[in-house]
Amino acid sequence: MMLLTRWLTLRSMRSRPLRTLLGMFGIILGVAGLLAIRITNLTAMDTLSALFEGTSGKTDLIVTYNGTDGNGLPERILRRIIENEAIQAAVPSLQIQTALAVGVPESAMPLSLLGFEMGGFSIFGIDPQTDPAVRDYTITQGDFLSQDENGREIVLVENYASENELEVGKVVELLTEDGPKEFTIVGLIAKKGAGQNNNGAFGVIPLQTAQELFHRSGELDQVDIVLKPDFVSTDQLAVVKTQLQSQLGDDYPVTSTASGGNRVSQMLNGFSIGLNFMGGMALFVGGYLIYNTFSMTVVERTREFGLLRTLGLTQKQVIVQVLVEAGILGIMGSFIGALVGIGLAQSATYLLGYLLDLDSVSLKISMEVILTSLIIGVAITVVAALLPAWQAGRISPLEALRVRGIRKEGWLLRQGWKLGLVFLLISFIILVANPFPYDVQFRLGSLTVIFLFFGGTLLIPGSVGLWQRITRPVIHWLYGAAGQLGSRNIQRSKLRTTLTVAALMIGVSMIIITRGMTDSFRGDLETWINAYVGGDLLVTSSSPMRSQVMRRLEAIPGVEAVTPMRTLEVAWQTPDGKTEDLVFMGVDTETYNKVTSFVFSDSQVDADEAYKKLSEGNALFISSVLAEKYGLNAGDTLRLRTRSGELDFTIAAVVINFYNQGLAVQGNWQDMRRYFKTSEAGAYLVKLADGYGATEVQQRIQDTYADRENLSIASNQSLINQVLTLLNQAYSMFDVMAIIALLVGALGVVNTLTMNVLERSQEIGMLRSIGLTRGQTTVMVLAESLLMGLIGGVLGLGFGILLTRIFLWSMTAMSGYKINFVLPVGAVIAGILIALVVSQLAAIFPARRASRTQILDAIHYE
Amino acid sequence: MTKVVLEAKGLQKKYQMGEVVVEALSGLDFQVNKGEFIAIMGPSGSGKSTLLHLLGGLDTPSDGEITLAGQQLSILNDKQITLVRRHNIGFVFQFFNLLPTLTAEENIALPLVIDGRNLQEYQARIDRLLELVGLSDRRQHKPDQLSGGEQQRVALARALVTEPAIILADEPTGNLDSKTGTAIMNLLKRSCVELDQALVAVTHDARAATYADRVVFLQDGNIVREIRFLEGQEMSDRLNMVIKVFEELEAMG
Repeated sequence: MMLLTRWLTLRSMRSRPLRTLLGMFGIILGVAGLLAIRITNLTAMDTLSALFEGTSGKTDLIVTYNGTDGNGLPERILRRIIENEAIQAAVPSLQIQTALAVGVPESAMPLSLLGFEMGGFSIFGIDPQTDPAVRDYTITQGDFLSQDENGREIVLVENYASENELEVGKVVELLTEDGPKEFTIVGLIAKKGAGQNNNGAFGVIPLQTAQELFHRSGELDQVDIVLKPDFVSTDQLAVVKTQLQSQLGDDYPVTSTASGGNRVSQMLNGFSIGLNFMGGMALFVGGYLIYNTFSMTVVERTREFGLLRTLGLTQKQVIVQVLVEAGILGIMGSFIGALVGIGLAQSATYLLGYLLDLDSVSLKISMEVILTSLIIGVAITVVAALLPAWQAGRISPLEALRVRGIRKEGWLLRQGWKLGLVFLLISFIILVANPFPYDVQFRLGSLTVIFLFFGGTLLIPGSVGLWQRITRPVIHWLYGAAGQLGSRNIQRSKLRTTLTVAALMIGVSMIIITRGMTDSFRGDLETWINAYVGGDLLVTSSSPMRSQVMRRLEAIPGVEAVTPMRTLEVAWQTPDGKTEDLVFMGVDTETYNKVTSFVFSDSQVDADEAYKKLSEGNALFISSVLAEKYGLNAGDTLRLRTRSGELDFTIAAVVINFYNQGLAVQGNWQDMRRYFKTSEAGAYLVKLADGYGATEVQQRIQDTYADRENLSIASNQSLINQVLTLLNQAYSMFDVMAIIALLVGALGVVNTLTMNVLERSQEIGMLRSIGLTRGQTTVMVLAESLLMGLIGGVLGLGFGILLTRIFLWSMTAMSGYKINFVLPVGAVIAGILIALVVSQLAAIFPARRASRTQILDAIHYE
Repeated sequence: MTKVVLEAKGLQKKYQMGEVVVEALSGLDFQVNKGEFIAIMGPSGSGKSTLLHLLGGLDTPSDGEITLAGQQLSILNDKQITLVRRHNIGFVFQFFNLLPTLTAEENIALPLVIDGRNLQEYQARIDRLLELVGLSDRRQHKPDQLSGGEQQRVALARALVTEPAIILADEPTGNLDSKTGTAIMNLLKRSCVELDQALVAVTHDARAATYADRVVFLQDGNIVREIRFLEGQEMSDRLNMVIKVFEELEAMG
């Protein structure tokens, strides 16, 4: 067996280096794509988890306040907490978003697309004696905070300090409600553990100082709890959590730090879905290329296999030899693919860091992930080679002789269109009938993709005749009689043609899908972001702004209208009875429409009527994500937990809102004041009057009020551009995959036509001998290729659009994001043109080969 | 006592060519004894290649029975027929059909490797065959480094390496010049005589046919004539006999 493998398989691989490399390229592509995506997903999860852990460190449980009135936990709660015998330490903290007077932070816009705030400067007021029990501080310079409870000391993160030219001993101004206050930097900590908070724009000051300067005397934001060693197991932790919750009451939610990880998973869900789909596609494309390459190999070695069968090699031995070749290619290709995948993951991770505004993101590489990717790579290669191996086994010994009998088409080629229709029907039923729960639908969605491609592929052999007849006039017009001769050839090697057209179909589909997803996503996101970041300027502050700020802004020349916005985290009861958090966005219905507008999910909704209901109170606009996920509609009610108890709000309308991943509702300002005891704005949207520029008015506000009211002003257009640029960069990764898929299709065309030319050498010699010119011979091959490109392009277009709709539907099913499908017109035209151009370019080499056929050699060719 | 190596009775083969059924063989009987050299001749379409394919188990008859080395081929499945072919038949093709990636020696040894045998045990046999065909000093050359005649000699050695019951040759000199062809036919004859090898060769070359012990003439799927040469008979006589039969058959139309 070993000797046979060496002589037959290894030597054959060495003698066909290009073909061998082509096969390996397929598996490299598949494994690299899969591994890159898995590593990126792991890295993202790890990075975001670390951000959460940075602030919770050694904490077992966290006690917070429902926070609907902005008052925080009363300090006396500490005594009640420490009564629980399981508790070793209960560490208080006050957590404030403010600003250091070192300049306007870059990412001041709390877009919260991933659900947490970034930007600004984060201050923790802590008890320096007890806080290190729950958070890790690594002092790199100076000292930690002293025991002076009212001291004006601050400890910063060394990276942030270095960027802002701050050092131990220097005095900085911290912006408080009473204006800037001076603090002395007594120490610097490393950017790890607690130092990772807010990407290092973080500092700690004494708790009492914080309470005093931010008017929060007697209040806390959070109590971190460390349990005694006997109580840290999962079961006991759950028991203590329940005990504590019942002890403290519903106003003081007790959460474990594990729930932070769940939140990270939820955040990444939508991101992961898209990536995993592309990972699957990479494997599919890679597997397809392997199948294509092995099929070509079998065709090329038909005579050799026939000879070997004549000499006594059994069918099984032939199959084994082909699969051994697949195994060898799979192992080699998977290893190289793994290396390439790690490299790709590095680039993707860099992009991730950029998206999340993190200084550095380190790759999370796990041996298990690498090993499983390698195994999958080898398995896919062998599976992809199964059908060609079986076909090789079926080669008759007669092939070894000069007699080539009429090669009967297999059943799959003759009748496979029936099976193809069955596959398409099943896919259609899964899509339309939709009888399964969401998670099953998602798994079936993946199967639907495969069924669709297989179904479409099986239809090709039966339909090529029709295609040829339909396109006859066009081919004749383009390429004349020689072209018609060539286009008829497409019906001859149906298996080969099918493989090639299918490869082109997949390539074009991927272009349509990536552009379709991008345009659809961008369409909704742009619409939403233009409305959310409405008006022309966005004004924010380190602390909530009173109504006088609004009046002052309105008085600025050039300002036409101002509307406030505030977000609060509130608890709500889901339709299935669970209590979860979402964001309540308070809007002033008197001024909101003067600056911006809502984007209603349903274009048929009576906007005025909906707005009127919202204004009347006890009503909400909910996001389309919530509507999709929980099956809510206008007219239903939604229960929120308020300071006045649990209240039902009527859903006045469903709007597009991606804030906090779509877990957001919008209610009117009066309700916010009445039920959540909050009346201060977190931001103001400013609309400018005609004739006034953003820069001019921005400067005016800056000069007049920025320092006094601690305001940050940003132009909305620049913020929108920033977000859209980031998204474009993310999607460009998918475009690369589409291009690679199309290249695979192009390679398929080259293969097919080369084999066709080789097999028809005698025929070409005969045609040349009766007067076909070299140019006409070239044209004959080009015409055959053009028809392949046309069929592949049109089929790719159809499936691409269909699959885009499937993917968007799947995303909605899984995450609740409802994205409206936008037909990528540019990609549609480009896709077909590319298929046609690629098919012609790929045909150049085989066409030239055909035109150079030596007549006498060809006629004597066996 | 002569031993029958291969026997065919009532052999029929029909092909479906579109809507037309072509009868390539019409109920033919055929027998080959050990050490016997039989040439099969006939015009194109006479069924001689079809007969060779059926005898070699490369194709299945529409009717009739073939017995090779005591085994009835019709009751065997594909794997069993393959094994029969592996152990009992050596093939020589018109276009040599050597593997381009193997050396001359490796091409010769290939059937043994396919059968899973330890090559070291058969090295002496391989060396003998290389000597028989006069290629001992070319054993490491690949096919593209050998002439047509040399390649055919390698193919002959390959056919002999398993010491098969019968060699089937399909136009063995069809791709060679007359001098080289003569050399090949001499070798084939030698293998019959020295190794007591049964040999059936399809040929359209009258001169090649004169090396055989008997010549069988096919026409329209039937054996229409048979010539048995005498031992020691001059080649020119044999050639005249063959040509005469051809003329007679042509005259019959």
